[in-house]
Amino acid sequence: MNQFDEQLAVIRFQPDEEWQHVLILDDAICQKCRAKQCLTFCPSGVFRESTEAKQPLMVLYKQCVECGGCRLICDNIDFSYPKGGYGVTFLEG
Amino acid sequence: MLKHWYQAKKIVESEKKSNIEIDTSNVKKYDVVVVGAGPAGASAAYFMAKQGLDVLLLERGPFPGAKICGGTSLIAEHTHKLFPNFWDECQCERIVMQQAYWIMTEDSLLSTSFQSLKFTAAPYNRFTVKRRVLYQWLVDKAISAGVTFQCNYKVSEVLFDGSQAIGVQISPPQKKQFFADIIVLADGANSMVAEKSNLIPRVSPQNISLYVKETIVLPANVIEERFQLAYGYGSIIGLLGYPTAGFNGTSSIHTFQDSININVGMTISDFSISGIRPYELLSRIKNHPFIRPLLVGGTVVEYGASVIPEGGYYAIPEIVHPGLMIIGDAASLVNGTHGINLAMWSGFFAAQAAYESKKKRDFSAKKLFLYRTLLDESFVMQDLKANAKIAKLQQDLPYLFDLYSKIANETAFQVSKVYTMPKKAKRIFIFKKITSMQPLLKMASDIWKVIKVVRG
Ligand SMILES: Cc1cc2nc3c(=O)[nH]c(=O)nc-3n(C[C@H](O)[C@H](O)[C@H](O)COP(=O)(O)OP(=O)(O)OC[C@H]3O[C@@H](n4cnc5c(N)ncnc54)[C@H](O)[C@@H]3O)c2cc1C
Ligand code: SF4
Ligand code: SF4
Repeated sequence: MNQFDEQLAVIRFQPDEEWQHVLILDDAICQKCRAKQCLTFCPSGVFRESTEAKQPLMVLYKQCVECGGCRLICDNIDFSYPKGGYGVTFLEG
Repeated sequence: MLKHWYQAKKIVESEKKSNIEIDTSNVKKYDVVVVGAGPAGASAAYFMAKQGLDVLLLERGPFPGAKICGGTSLIAEHTHKLFPNFWDECQCERIVMQQAYWIMTEDSLLSTSFQSLKFTAAPYNRFTVKRRVLYQWLVDKAISAGVTFQCNYKVSEVLFDGSQAIGVQISPPQKKQFFADIIVLADGANSMVAEKSNLIPRVSPQNISLYVKETIVLPANVIEERFQLAYGYGSIIGLLGYPTAGFNGTSSIHTFQDSININVGMTISDFSISGIRPYELLSRIKNHPFIRPLLVGGTVVEYGASVIPEGGYYAIPEIVHPGLMIIGDAASLVNGTHGINLAMWSGFFAAQAAYESKKKRDFSAKKLFLYRTLLDESFVMQDLKANAKIAKLQQDLPYLFDLYSKIANETAFQVSKVYTMPKKAKRIFIFKKITSMQPLLKMASDIWKVIKVVRG
């Protein structure tokens, strides 16, 4: 485990197995995107590069901390909050 | 697998669209529906119910305070005026007796600090609090005043009759609709409900900052020793310069009973452009030679991220609409990084406006504008106005925090260092050293810009 994964491991989640709340609208745009700012921006590493050419990004939505920032840095990201009761839970303030 | 999720989402969207037909027959109608049980929403609901209104408070999280993290300190005076002697009811972590700023470079730290025993007795100055405790306390107050509270309910959008707001749509699984004379949006920074309902434009990534935080557990006596605090008292430290790696932004340490919170943030656009990973910024601060010793032996128990609307006065959107008011962070009411007290007060003012509207049975924007008027006349807008140009200044001088932190530290270093050269020669040497970092004229122009802003 690297240090970042250790940080993620201490977050509490109630993942929604049925519905993905962060998603890429058009894979073709990602294929052409050079900056790929989503990869560095997301504070919980939700966006990862994949080896599949057709689908260049993996969206690990179950580890999203719901900061809501990604939708403001790229129009190709569709973000809404998880359904009521699902997602991250902060206990420590 | 991913494909499957895509489809799932699309079905939901189309279902929602077709479902948006409004059915008001034999449903209960509330006086007010409040969206979001943060300091803004819970305060609004509490003061409305106290005045006899029938209020429904909706929260998407499983309990109040579950969905936002970082900070936090509470200003005693502002809170005490709304909730007298709140310190006897709401369990605070530490009474803040020390407030410090550390201006940092990679190897130096210039600190200014103020502490006073005056802050340790009622009416106090500031407290550190855990969000879960603060939010739950406010919601409990609201419930005992008669508010109906519902968690695990996510509002997807506002329902309208023409331009008049008349209710809210709950997203699946409940898919319910609730109706009221007045809708209050208190859904926090980056208000997606207001945006989706076409009430406000999408917030600009330059006007909103992303913060990452870590909560690190340490024994209470170790915290007191390391931060030089008397038993039970706390400290808030603002960290400037080095923490944001050349960008304008802020970092802070809040001491709790037996843990500390360390946060760092800068605008979403700076994060996006710089390619700096938020977590790496935090871990860089934790490894600073003067921060690391404070954290030795601590255990990280929670990591997280949240946003703060920092666009200031000029970023405040239209906050009064027919049958609807926007309060708290959703209305961008944050001064620097202080938002909790502004959120509570905006809730209080919205409650006054709701009460007057109800009395006259007039739910027009004109009638509800009392909310905006009360806000304008209060410290909330006055302070926001006074600081209005600071947000702009930070955008105009993107090097402000970084460069002047370096200059301040270099000056302090040179002044503190003992040289063999005579005093006069030393002064000239220091002057040359500093002006080599920023030419005199440029510095004068920056200082002039800052003075102009500070003097208003
Ligand atoms: C790292 C950090 C440090 C901070 N430090 C301080 C500090 O020291 N002092 C200070 O005064 N302020 C501080 N702030 C700012 C402060 O947190 C906010 O200004 C304050 O929380 C605003 O209150 P609010 O009620 O408007 O919004 P929030 O506290 O964000 O509450 C909004 C609520 O609405 C809910 N919600 C959102 N969408 C929906 C929906 N669609 N349906 C139902 N419910 C929904 C959320 O779950 C949440 O409970 C800090 C913020 C951060 C991020
Ligand atoms: S999501 Fe946006 S930023 Fe990320 S690769 Fe795709 S287009 Fe680029
Ligand atoms: S909301 Fe924040 S944490 Fe979630 S995917 Fe977007 S950037 Fe990452």
